[in-house]
Amino acid sequence: MQRNQRRKLEELFFTALMRLCLAGAGLVLVLILVIIASRGIGALSWEMLTQSPSGGFYTGQGGGILNAIVGSLYLATGATLLAAVIAAPVVLYLHVYGSHSRSSQLLRLALDVLWGIPSIVYGAFGFSLMVFLGLRASLLAGIIALTLVVIPILARTYDEVVALAPRQLREITLAMGTTRAEYLGVLLRQTLPGLVTALLLAFGRAIGDAAAVLFTAGYTDNMPNGLLRPVASLPLAIFFQLSTPFPAVQARAYASALVLTVIILVVSILAQWTLRHLGRHVIR
Amino acid sequence: MRSLSIRDLNVWYGPKQALKAINVDIPLGQITAIIGPSGCGKTTLLKSLNRLLELNEQVRVSGQVLLDEYNIYDPSADVTEIRTRIGLLAQKPFPLPMSIYDNVAYGPRIHGLARGVLDANVRGHLEAVGLWSEVADRLKAPATGLSVGQQQRLCLARALAVEPEVLLCDESTASLDPISARGIEELLRSLKGRYTLVIVTHNIDQARRLADHVVFMWLGEMIEHGPAATFFEKQENELTQAYLAGEIG
Repeated sequence: MQRNQRRKLEELFFTALMRLCLAGAGLVLVLILVIIASRGIGALSWEMLTQSPSGGFYTGQGGGILNAIVGSLYLATGATLLAAVIAAPVVLYLHVYGSHSRSSQLLRLALDVLWGIPSIVYGAFGFSLMVFLGLRASLLAGIIALTLVVIPILARTYDEVVALAPRQLREITLAMGTTRAEYLGVLLRQTLPGLVTALLLAFGRAIGDAAAVLFTAGYTDNMPNGLLRPVASLPLAIFFQLSTPFPAVQARAYASALVLTVIILVVSILAQWTLRHLGRHVIR
Repeated sequence: MRSLSIRDLNVWYGPKQALKAINVDIPLGQITAIIGPSGCGKTTLLKSLNRLLELNEQVRVSGQVLLDEYNIYDPSADVTEIRTRIGLLAQKPFPLPMSIYDNVAYGPRIHGLARGVLDANVRGHLEAVGLWSEVADRLKAPATGLSVGQQQRLCLARALAVEPEVLLCDESTASLDPISARGIEELLRSLKGRYTLVIVTHNIDQARRLADHVVFMWLGEMIEHGPAATFFEKQENELTQAYLAGEIG
């Protein structure tokens, strides 16, 4: 009797503890959103979303952050796609051709290490690469630096998803007389929702990263106008506006942060929607 | 003269020998059942017939499997062609991550069969396994939405759509409910003549019902084989007698 009571108390205690932690984690997100929204919403205007900065934007005069919004979308989309083109085949190859080889274990270790490297290091590395290649601060250089940041994220996330694919899939598919390349296609179909999730994570990281683009993409008040020209980005726009002494401009920084958050939210919702569609055929 | 013959086949998983000097001729157009207790090498023997064994990197094979005098273990043999001619129906129903239609159409598509008549081809194979009337209105729906028994019939249709000569069945009714299992059994019986079937089963009654020819395995060795009628009538080996009597295994 007493023993049973103790077990029930334990159950109560640990569920309460979990709820508390859950509430804590949720509260942080809510607080961030509330603070950004309350400080920024007043500064948010149609002008801000549809115009580039005019002279004196950083002292509180007219213009907007369209250059940074578009610049960030270009940078993050470019980097995510480029990283996917490199990472997805690497992962599929690892699983189909070299599944348990020593080199694949080494590659995973390398990717884990790369994941942990701070993005300012990629920024510095990207900068030296840029100098070596004779590039100036530009959209292209920014995309390359961000690609380096997100490759490990994309590759390792997708790698884990592919590792979860049922073992039978390989046997069943190859038993139909498929080549290994054709099996790759089937494996891609099975893991497509996971790939989309990995892309989403990579995109979120790329669009929010300031350090990697600081030296490589540069900054400009103009709209992006070429792969080899500098581009603005939202994280840097937020940084520059926050570092001015003018409260009105600082409020715009919060409005910019709100825009960045909304972009990530929209991309997440789009991805969820795609996942539901793509995941229809997945074998569980 | 078409034939499927196993000549002096040995298989090792790492240092452990799983098949020991197997010699047997599989009669064509008939159902051959491989029986024996768990772990005796039934499935290993089955999967050596379409070289699926080698997906396991630990495996080493010696000997020959001759399909029309063509050794499928010859270094120059084309493994995709072998697996096209020798299909597999697995133990558990396992649809590909595609729609019902695409599951059946996948084989013909990659092998370039049924060009221009794919719809009719898919329909024909779904009808052959008695699934057409149940799925005709939801061909684009996910295959995973089907019941387990339906999924196994879909897998059979998928295997047949590749147009194999030989079909290997690895305990293909073991994970099904009794009614679905009986359905698959009936289908396999109906394939006799057009296809050579090799089935692995731990169910002696199923072997009695289906098999024309029986192979009895024990600890990696083939103990006895012969036409089902004589095999079940009188066994030459004591192990076979004991196994059929339910005393061992």
